[in-house]
Amino acid sequence: MAVAAVPHGAVDHGGADQLYIETRSLRLQGFLLFLVSDCVLFSSFIFAYLYMRNSGQGWPPPGINRLDVAFAALNSVVLFGSGATMHYALENWKHENFGRYVFFMLATIVLGIGFLSGQAYEYTTLYFREHVSWAGSGIFGASFFTLTGMHGFHVSVGVLYLIILFLQSVHGIYTKDKYFGLTAGTLYWHFVDVIWVVLFSIFYLI
Amino acid sequence: MSATAVHGGGIAGHIHPEPQGFVRRYIFSIDHKIIGIQYIVTGFVFLILSGMLAEIIRTQLLHANGGFVSPDVYNEVYSMHGSAMVWLVIIPLITGGFGNVIMPLQIGARDVAFPWLNMISFWIFPVAGLMLFSSFLMGAPVAGWTEYPPMSLQAGPGTSMWAAAIFLVGVSSTLTGINFVVTMYQMRAPGMTFTRMPLFCWAQLATAPLLMIATTALAAALAALFMERQFGVPFYDPTKGGSPIMWQHMFWFYSHPAVYIMILPAFGMISEILPTFSRKPIFGYKMIAFSSMAIALAGFMVWAHHMFTSGLAPYLQLPFMILTFTIAIPTGVKIFSWTATLWGGKIQYTTSLLFAVGFVGLFTLGGITGIFLAAVPFDLHVHGTYFVVAHFHYVLVGGSLMGIFAGTYYYFPKMSGRLMNETLGKWHFWLFLIGFNGTFLPQHWLGMLGMPRRVPEYDPQFQFWNDFSSISSYVMTFAILLFFINLLWSIRNGKKAGPNPWGARTLEWQIPSPPHYYNFKNIPTVHGLPYNFGQPLPYKGLEEELTDSPVHAGAH
Repeated sequence: MAVAAVPHGAVDHGGADQLYIETRSLRLQGFLLFLVSDCVLFSSFIFAYLYMRNSGQGWPPPGINRLDVAFAALNSVVLFGSGATMHYALENWKHENFGRYVFFMLATIVLGIGFLSGQAYEYTTLYFREHVSWAGSGIFGASFFTLTGMHGFHVSVGVLYLIILFLQSVHGIYTKDKYFGLTAGTLYWHFVDVIWVVLFSIFYLI
Repeated sequence: MSATAVHGGGIAGHIHPEPQGFVRRYIFSIDHKIIGIQYIVTGFVFLILSGMLAEIIRTQLLHANGGFVSPDVYNEVYSMHGSAMVWLVIIPLITGGFGNVIMPLQIGARDVAFPWLNMISFWIFPVAGLMLFSSFLMGAPVAGWTEYPPMSLQAGPGTSMWAAAIFLVGVSSTLTGINFVVTMYQMRAPGMTFTRMPLFCWAQLATAPLLMIATTALAAALAALFMERQFGVPFYDPTKGGSPIMWQHMFWFYSHPAVYIMILPAFGMISEILPTFSRKPIFGYKMIAFSSMAIALAGFMVWAHHMFTSGLAPYLQLPFMILTFTIAIPTGVKIFSWTATLWGGKIQYTTSLLFAVGFVGLFTLGGITGIFLAAVPFDLHVHGTYFVVAHFHYVLVGGSLMGIFAGTYYYFPKMSGRLMNETLGKWHFWLFLIGFNGTFLPQHWLGMLGMPRRVPEYDPQFQFWNDFSSISSYVMTFAILLFFINLLWSIRNGKKAGPNPWGARTLEWQIPSPPHYYNFKNIPTVHGLPYNFGQPLPYKGLEEELTDSPVHAGAH
């Protein structure tokens, strides 16, 4: 069920568009390598967490309660859902279903903000009710808040990026053939999802 | 009619309009050649600064009871000397500097994949360097370039500045690594398969993933140190449940690949210089290319050989020892291949060649002492002594720095259109060789006799060889001074070089010196390896490069 193809106001850049399309593989490879290096960043901190956790004092350390798995699981579903909606947003863009694209893109942004709200709730609960803080709770607080904080920061940047992409797409920056920004945004959003799978597993499940 | 041929469209054929104005051409340039020169100039400035720090060290060690600087200042001096040399001199010179200048030309490209990113990568570098040196104003780091906790947790504010500065310069490295990988994967000239790519590019291709991956691991370690120092978040403090050994693991997981970052491009440089001045093909092209990849990969697996005295369980020490030994194999392959390249060749004794041959000899010595250090029983005896200092100065100065010198004499004509002075060059080489060996050879036995490193004073039994080392270091410094005089003099007064003063065969020598901003009028097609001296050049489409035919920058 096709709706309008490229929105009104799309600018025809002529030859520059051609160059853009032909150099897409450059940008794709570069962006993927950037994600690889970001993976290494997370992996290093994950190594640090696992190393510290293995230090033999039991986990959680004495005086600290287990994390709330149920709530985090619910929050995770929100994030994974946003991954699915992002996928559909890109698919609909590629098939020129602009109306559906808008719906799924906005859904992704809303779900992303929802995840961040869930994290904010978790942080405040931990801090005010459980008295677990970043610097004052030994290696538990250090590892949990550093890793989930880094992840939350990445999600926040991702939400901002998606908002910018959305506004750009509404203004006609992207066309049926020229939409690398949207591809990059989708890849980044899936990356953030995958990192969360790992973090959820190592903090909440084990 | 425009003489611009557009091959296959996209970035290969497209010539941008020439940048206008001094600022866009020379300050905020996106041209890889200008950026590369900027890296080289900045790197050389930091070489001078860090070299002065080295001479403070050697002057302090002229006397067994020190006295030149206070012990606290001395700690700052060697910590900054090491940090600056690794992160502000060797790595930027050899990757951002020579990599940027040479690699795109050698693959027949007009620029790197992401020129704006390249410019940002460069400009981070002097800023981070200034940040690092500013730490002298606030209590510079004192725990060596390795900054082990707990000392690095307890030291003054300069250590946090150090962490921030190195983090920043690491971002520059990571972006450069990404840029180079994509450039070499996607922008080689038509017909240039990987097995027709010059060996300098192979070396950069092996190094770029290290830049990307290893540097990010360091970023994590530095960020954790910074967070602990500034916000009290426990990572490394054992009284709060952290672990100083964890720092060592995280730090060395980067810093071991870092030493391969510092040497692999130099290997590549040597592989270009030796065939040219032997008028012979490089021996074992494929072996040299693949051994670079093997070294890069294996380099990730040996980091704990820096930690043999840190209380690692013996069952862990053993695999690291064995893996470290095995890195000697691909390295040895290169040494044999280079020797076989020279063998029977018609040698032209240019300064560049002298430094390249010197590299092969001195790096081999450093590599051999590396094998000694890989053996756990030996390392337990000499860890933390001057033996280690001797080893790494042989591979980094006798290796990387000599490679940088060789590359400078070789590529200065391409970049400036003028040759460097050969007489001064030869004085530089011989004085440097004598001064360098005099400085660092005795440090092997100083270490074996028990002189620890990072000490501002020492037992009088070590006096003579310390003096020998220090006096020799002044000779070495003088030689480096000659180098800079030569460099500066030759910019204006060097003999005109022409496109190919050395008769080399890689693509960069088939275009004018200095190249036009667009590098090639027409991207050539490549149909063979560049090293077969005596055969016709394996390129098609270079006819217009050395002519005056006009080129019109055009959008599609």
